[in-house]
Amino acid sequence: MTQDLNDDGFGGDVVETAPRPRVSRRSFLQIAGMGAAATGAVISSARVAMAGNGWTVGLDGVPDERVRWMYRTMLKSRWWEEEMKEAFLAGNDGLYGAFHISIGEEACSTGVMAALNEDDYIASNHRGHSHLIAKGGDLAKMSAELFFKETGYNRGFGGSMHITDVSKGILGMNGIIGPQYLFASGAAYSAKVRGSGQVAVAFGGDGSVNNGWYYSGLRNAALYKLPMIAVVENNGYQMSMPQQRTNSLINLHEFGAGLDIAHEAVNGMDVMAVYAVAKRAVDRARNESLPTLIECKTYRYYDHAGLAGARAGELGAFGLPYRSDAEVRAWMAEDPIPKLRRQMVANALMTEEEADRIEAEVRQEVLDSIEFARSSPAPQPEAGLEHVFAGMSVAPSQFIG
Amino acid sequence: MVNKPSNFAMLEALQTAMRNDPHMTMLYEYQRPVAAGPLGNVIDLYEEFGDLRIPDWGPIDEEWHVGGAAGIAMTGVKAIARVPSMCSTRCFELVFNQVGKLRHMTGGQVNMPLVIWQDAAGRSPGMAGQHADAGQEALYASIPGIKVVVPSNPYDAKGLLTAALEDGDPVIIFHYPAIDGNPTDVPDEAYVVPIGEAAIRQEGTDLTLVGYGPAAVEIQRALPGLAEAGISAEVIDPRTIKPMPIDAIVESVRKTGRLLVVDHGHETLGTAAEIIARVAIAVPGARFARSTFPDAPPPGAREMISWMTPDAPKIVEAARLMVA
Repeated sequence: MTQDLNDDGFGGDVVETAPRPRVSRRSFLQIAGMGAAATGAVISSARVAMAGNGWTVGLDGVPDERVRWMYRTMLKSRWWEEEMKEAFLAGNDGLYGAFHISIGEEACSTGVMAALNEDDYIASNHRGHSHLIAKGGDLAKMSAELFFKETGYNRGFGGSMHITDVSKGILGMNGIIGPQYLFASGAAYSAKVRGSGQVAVAFGGDGSVNNGWYYSGLRNAALYKLPMIAVVENNGYQMSMPQQRTNSLINLHEFGAGLDIAHEAVNGMDVMAVYAVAKRAVDRARNESLPTLIECKTYRYYDHAGLAGARAGELGAFGLPYRSDAEVRAWMAEDPIPKLRRQMVANALMTEEEADRIEAEVRQEVLDSIEFARSSPAPQPEAGLEHVFAGMSVAPSQFIG
Repeated sequence: MVNKPSNFAMLEALQTAMRNDPHMTMLYEYQRPVAAGPLGNVIDLYEEFGDLRIPDWGPIDEEWHVGGAAGIAMTGVKAIARVPSMCSTRCFELVFNQVGKLRHMTGGQVNMPLVIWQDAAGRSPGMAGQHADAGQEALYASIPGIKVVVPSNPYDAKGLLTAALEDGDPVIIFHYPAIDGNPTDVPDEAYVVPIGEAAIRQEGTDLTLVGYGPAAVEIQRALPGLAEAGISAEVIDPRTIKPMPIDAIVESVRKTGRLLVVDHGHETLGTAAEIIARVAIAVPGARFARSTFPDAPPPGAREMISWMTPDAPKIVEAARLMVA
């Protein structure tokens, strides 16, 4: 059963009008295959409004399979980054390059992605592992890319910061701050031109709102009425600088008021709340072709980049100069994964044993992906001359003659 | 004198300039102007000059740092913007269409005492694409009205930054971390390495070997291999890309008859192309070659980027081919 759920998470097209009796679980799966036939709200508009004001909303109205998918997806993201962190710390694989951990922020990516269809677009950022995993990214190809192997998503050209899977609507992680808002608006424009009904979502941090491309992406989404959603994962720090020192605005979503677009804040440590707000934004984008700005208040358990303050076998980075350990622990007490697990067990969606089994399965899948990366071949040096243009290489001008 | 990291050496230059000018202002993003020296002494420009002249940290908004600093400079106040390495062209429009043009376009009215401290990435494995670039100094050198300097060691970094801060025109200084692989003694007191003056690092007769910044570091590493191969190379580091100190190179090539330019920028329209063009016009009949990073973005995997980067072994091999 859990195996079925593994690859069946998408289908934000499915909506329900009221909480269902649990016996209808199979019917949800049948509806999922039918596309966007149903209408209505998964969660009552009152509850969505509460979520948009920072309240928790619980599992009401959300199909069990969707909840299970969210639980498994957050775990996948959590354990993939944890195990990759362990590999970096152990030092046995000679890992190198950029590594920006998104642990702590899984509810944002999973909650949004649970509201999207498989062919919707996302434009991610440097802290995008969890976005990719939630959008269906292949763990083995992601691991291999972090190992700079030929079998990686980008064939070893990109590394952690640039993983892309165009086939899944993942327009890529990106090492530069800001283009995701332009790309998502452009992808939404394309969807509108083609009449495809697709939605495009940009993910960025609180630091990313500080430059002009953010403004340009949002204002043009508003001007051209684009099915675009900007998700600002406000983790409180632009790198190691507290958010209030980079922006006169504290509630970043309020920027949307000046553009006259829908905007709301949500508890980014509560996947159900994120899902509720994201679902409404996706409906608005798909049905009315209008943008939304969502601010997820969330937290990054690790440092901006790399592994300062991180220890093997321990969740989170401590002793960093710009934040207190007590602050880290306070946010970890709000961890979205055990929070969802407790709700699922209490609502009889799964037993504790089942929860443990799912987690063990996920960890094994992650470890298998790392083993795949380990045993994959490195790229040939000459490959670096390829993929500059389609079907032609450039000259090896480092050599004379 | 002791070896100092280039960042510390440059902050020394900045400290002197800011002490001498009560209004000089610095805008930056995240490279806080704090560094520890080799003897444990600490420079903390934020502590010394405060939150107004050096706003502590800045938003991720390079257009503000460069454009705002240009606006400060237009009022006659010396300004420096420090820009992160992955954003070396983010403000190209501002520099091309504003900073470089304003003095000329206004008939000489606008003074622009602006320095852009451009941290540069260099060809490091693992960063890929936007974070492993080099050679963007050639783009800026193509802009009228902009002076471009690229130090290859900490001594030159401090001296060139001092010169840039004393210059009344906009200067961009590219600071590659690789230059700390070329350690030098750095005096505590202020000194100038003049803009537009090349350094002859080694005299020789077989071949003129030219490179700046990270390529100059690789040339230094190639010296034992060149000696072993019995090649007498004259090694020149132009240090300034614009105005290019071409006379020293021309004079050398008149003597050696061979010019090899090493450049971590790209092949097409890179600095190597400019140097060779100028020397070829002045010294017809000489032999010319360049070793550059190919016309491809930098890939992440070590196997690829290392093979593509002109390094010491490739320089020795190229020199062998040229003198053969």
